Amino acid sequence: MSVLTIDGLTKSFRGFVAVNDVSLELNGGELRGLIGANGAGKSTLLHLIYGRLPADRGTIRFGDTDVTHLLAHQRARLGMGLVFQVASVFDDLTIEENLLLGALPKLPGTEPSVDRGEVERVLELIELADVRWRRARHLSHGQQRWLEIGMVLLTKPRLLLLDEPTSGMTRAESRRTASLLRELQAARAAEAMIVVEHNIEFIRLVSDRVTVMHRGEVLADGTIDEVQANPEVQASYLGRRH
Amino acid sequence: MRRGRWRVPLLGLAGSEAAPGSRRRVEGILLLALIALPLVIQDTFLIDRLGRYFLFAAFAISVDLIWGYGGLFTFGHAAFFGGGGYIVGMLTTLDAAFLPVPLWAALVGAVLAMALFALALSYFVFSGRGALRGVEFAVVTLAVAVAAERLTNAGGSVTGGQNGILMSSSLGIPGVISLQQGYGFYALAGLLLLATYVGVQRFLNSRSGLILRGIRENEDRIDLLGYDVPAIKRRAFVLSAAIAALAGAVFYVHEGIVSPSAVGVGASTLVLLWVVLGGRGTLIGPIVGAILLPHLTATLSGSLLDTWLVAVGVILVAVILVLPSGIFGFLNRERGT
Repeated sequence: MSVLTIDGLTKSFRGFVAVNDVSLELNGGELRGLIGANGAGKSTLLHLIYGRLPADRGTIRFGDTDVTHLLAHQRARLGMGLVFQVASVFDDLTIEENLLLGALPKLPGTEPSVDRGEVERVLELIELADVRWRRARHLSHGQQRWLEIGMVLLTKPRLLLLDEPTSGMTRAESRRTASLLRELQAARAAEAMIVVEHNIEFIRLVSDRVTVMHRGEVLADGTIDEVQANPEVQASYLGRRH
Repeated sequence: MRRGRWRVPLLGLAGSEAAPGSRRRVEGILLLALIALPLVIQDTFLIDRLGRYFLFAAFAISVDLIWGYGGLFTFGHAAFFGGGGYIVGMLTTLDAAFLPVPLWAALVGAVLAMALFALALSYFVFSGRGALRGVEFAVVTLAVAVAAERLTNAGGSVTGGQNGILMSSSLGIPGVISLQQGYGFYALAGLLLLATYVGVQRFLNSRSGLILRGIRENEDRIDLLGYDVPAIKRRAFVLSAAIAALAGAVFYVHEGIVSPSAVGVGASTLVLLWVVLGGRGTLIGPIVGAILLPHLTATLSGSLLDTWLVAVGVILVAVILVLPSGIFGFLNRERGT
């Protein structure tokens, strides 16, 4: 069953085509890596999927629902979750309060209760259970990013989108993030995940299948070994990095 | 691992990084100590003055609710405080149709009218793609205060024009108990402040309160989590306006007169100073600020006849420079880990 189906998605900014006629299908259980050089259109595509940017053309189906014209918060309510490139947490709230904001029912009028066990599990998973009373602004960059992942996880997303989750992290933090994502995939924390990265070694650790973008278009799609062997990918992306 | 479900109102997490209950206990003790002051102060004039400060404090909490906890800077909240006074004045003194009404009905009317006004305004400023934030919101509230002052000035016999409205009612139950002055007024104002404190504390510990504080910290993230941001802002704004209206209505009945300056920019700025001094984003801070600053002003204006305003200004600037997050904001941060 397809979780996400994108067909002919296009987005321009004042004549500059950032995403051009992109089609993509994401199946249940999949963790898709989305790679490409800076400016390839990866983050723009992610924000189009989440609804932070309106598409010029094309359609986005989330499960059975056409979400092309829905706003971001409406897509969030349907089960999309986005982890930003720059940690987007609530600095002056405690870690536990940050997680509660992920876990609470989003629609007014619903019972304002949360599953305590779920919050505890996420606190353990992101290794912040012992400092739950600490304000988010006192956490390291890596911890803030894990907190954000935890917060979005508690929204119970069917589709989890991560925009460069290791950006600004130390090697140790990146390894921990890779391990965290693998744990999430194994636990089927979301039906599917898309991870935008330009760190191909990180993608190798977490993802079996990758889509390579170049100048707003899909350049290649396949396993990490297949795309690394692709001459076009080597010339346009990998070659440039070595 | 602990199991079960949390009901958010039971968490008691209103902005505290330390164990949450301890701060509330300290605040509660401070507040009760303030309200119990008549046990040690026998000066009726001072008691009466403290009662006025309690109403200022309730007003300051209403501003802190949306500014300190919601990040919505308002420059015109006196429109609700003074507006409450004007509605009570009009409902109890005008002679037309079903008017005048008894004071209790006028107080209810004042709160409802200001809450409805806030609701209408909030639909205009918080909803849709053109929803206002930050400076834009502050400018709209400033415009509301300016408009309210001009409207009351130009209101002729309805608002009393420049002279305002002379109140004809007294607080209390005629023939049974008077709460218009002295200890009775003090008790009424103290109860109103206590109810405001407890009510706002409960709101902040609720789902809406937590989301409101999230909006202050990162409105985009709250929106992208799927929350209805305009609805939460509206709720907080209407609650804040209702508190300000009730405090203002009682205050101006006690004063015996309400005039255009009550709804204007000057009064709106003054309450911001109380909140800043005490510490925004705390509940006890605005209470202390709303007592300390007016008391300092009253004391200095009696002893420094020509220079008291300068002295108050210098003290205020010095305090804000040393403690930019206010007295209790500073104490909270010092306790943070």
